[in-house]
Amino acid sequence: MLHHLLYIDPGSGSFLVQAITAAVLGVVFFFRNIRLYIKSIFTRTPKKQDDNNPSA
Amino acid sequence: MPANFIHHPSSYRDPSGFIFEKNGVLYRQVNKVFKEHFDFFIASGCYDKLVKKDLLIPHEKINENFSGDNDWYATLKPERVSFISYPYEWGFDMLKDAALLTLDILKESLASGMILKDATPYNIQWHKGKLVSIDSLSFEKYDETIPWIAYRQFCENFLSPLLLTHYSRMPLQEMMLAYSEGIPLAVTKSLLPWRTKFSIHTYLHIHLHTKYSLKNPPTQAGKNTAFSKKKLLNLVSSLEGLITKLKLPVSKSTWSDYYDEASQRTNYLEHKRKIIQQWLEKIKPVATAADLGANTGEFSKLLSAKNIQTIASDFDANCINVLYNEIKKSDEKNILPIIIDLSKPSPSIGVNNEERDSFINRTNVDLAMALALIHHLAIGKNIPLEKIADLFQRMCRYLIIEFVPKQDEKIKLMLAGKKDIYTAYTEENFLSAFNQYFTVIEKETIAGSERTIYLMKKNEA
Repeated sequence: MLHHLLYIDPGSGSFLVQAITAAVLGVVFFFRNIRLYIKSIFTRTPKKQDDNNPSA
Repeated sequence: MPANFIHHPSSYRDPSGFIFEKNGVLYRQVNKVFKEHFDFFIASGCYDKLVKKDLLIPHEKINENFSGDNDWYATLKPERVSFISYPYEWGFDMLKDAALLTLDILKESLASGMILKDATPYNIQWHKGKLVSIDSLSFEKYDETIPWIAYRQFCENFLSPLLLTHYSRMPLQEMMLAYSEGIPLAVTKSLLPWRTKFSIHTYLHIHLHTKYSLKNPPTQAGKNTAFSKKKLLNLVSSLEGLITKLKLPVSKSTWSDYYDEASQRTNYLEHKRKIIQQWLEKIKPVATAADLGANTGEFSKLLSAKNIQTIASDFDANCINVLYNEIKKSDEKNILPIIIDLSKPSPSIGVNNEERDSFINRTNVDLAMALALIHHLAIGKNIPLEKIADLFQRMCRYLIIEFVPKQDEKIKLMLAGKKDIYTAYTEENFLSAFNQYFTVIEKETIAGSERTIYLMKKNEA
């Protein structure tokens, strides 16, 4: 364990609440990322057509 | 204490080191107790990276123990900031940018295996047209299992005033002055509208945070809490997302359309500009200036164009915010926009009333400009002319001041709703008040008005 100079009072309970907050945020961001991924599928910009491709 | 050695009054909290002045030069001492962290800060490349990205003020290492202390480890000579300002003098967007800068610095330090051990806005200053951190001793080796020690400090000093301003739609600089070490979470929670409980990020950082701060005794803190870097980055990302969305509601303030309206008055502004430009040539060299009652900074820009370091102050928070955003978009480097009410400029506060210096003590400029300002102090605030003259003489060597006579349209408007008790407000009395401290060098009447503008020099003591 590192030697920390605790001259700031981290606030009673501030460490505990960070653990809880971070856990909740883990869930929030997990679903946000899924949402953004799905959104990106539907809003994906179409590939530029190749001018040299006769079948296009 | 060695000769000519002044320990800076605001540098006492952190045992890692302190700021001092010797022969007028500013230094920072690093103490032995912080050796391990400081060496890692340099060796890990964290310092170089932060300086390169303009996030931290650069320093030079000096191999001399000026303090003579036994626990001396190193002496640093940081680049000097020309004017120290405090968060209760900043506009909303400046505080918001300082908050985002703090989070940026935290992320950069994490990438180098370090963490920001304090998150106070007093470590952020305006330097060469940008916000930078001035504290090179804020970095510690990172232990992933421990949550962010400065989390509450960040929430109280940055997030609280930003959220309260956003929701109340009021400038709250005076509240920040009252709570100069951050607005306590419980106060913020009680003042925020009830509906903020439904905003997940505000709920977590303020409402839930308050609940745990009040309930849990300190002995529980830090024990058995599983934490990780990923969790910390989630926390930072949430704070960033929340702060980025906060806005200062745009209200049409008294002054923000002043120039549009003033410019309609023939060539009044143009002539005023010309006079000032001529006078600036006359009083060279001018390195520093304060444009008092700067509005959105039209005349501050005139000073800045001559490479004069200029403090643009106004009591109107909207004007200063507009000016700040304009400066941010341009490559303007010489103007610092701050909110100051000259009828009650920032006082000296903190330990022994020395920690944060008053605006008047900090302001010692070559030139002060008070354009279309005196009637606001004399008639708007009932301040006697003698006291106004005394206020200016404390801050400058030269003064450019505009006298607005009583028959002026603006004063007629001011007097429309109140009794005219201002019989002493005459140009003659103005001159006799200012002659106590200043000598008039130049005088001109501004075209398209009955206003007079004076160039004065402070009498030698």
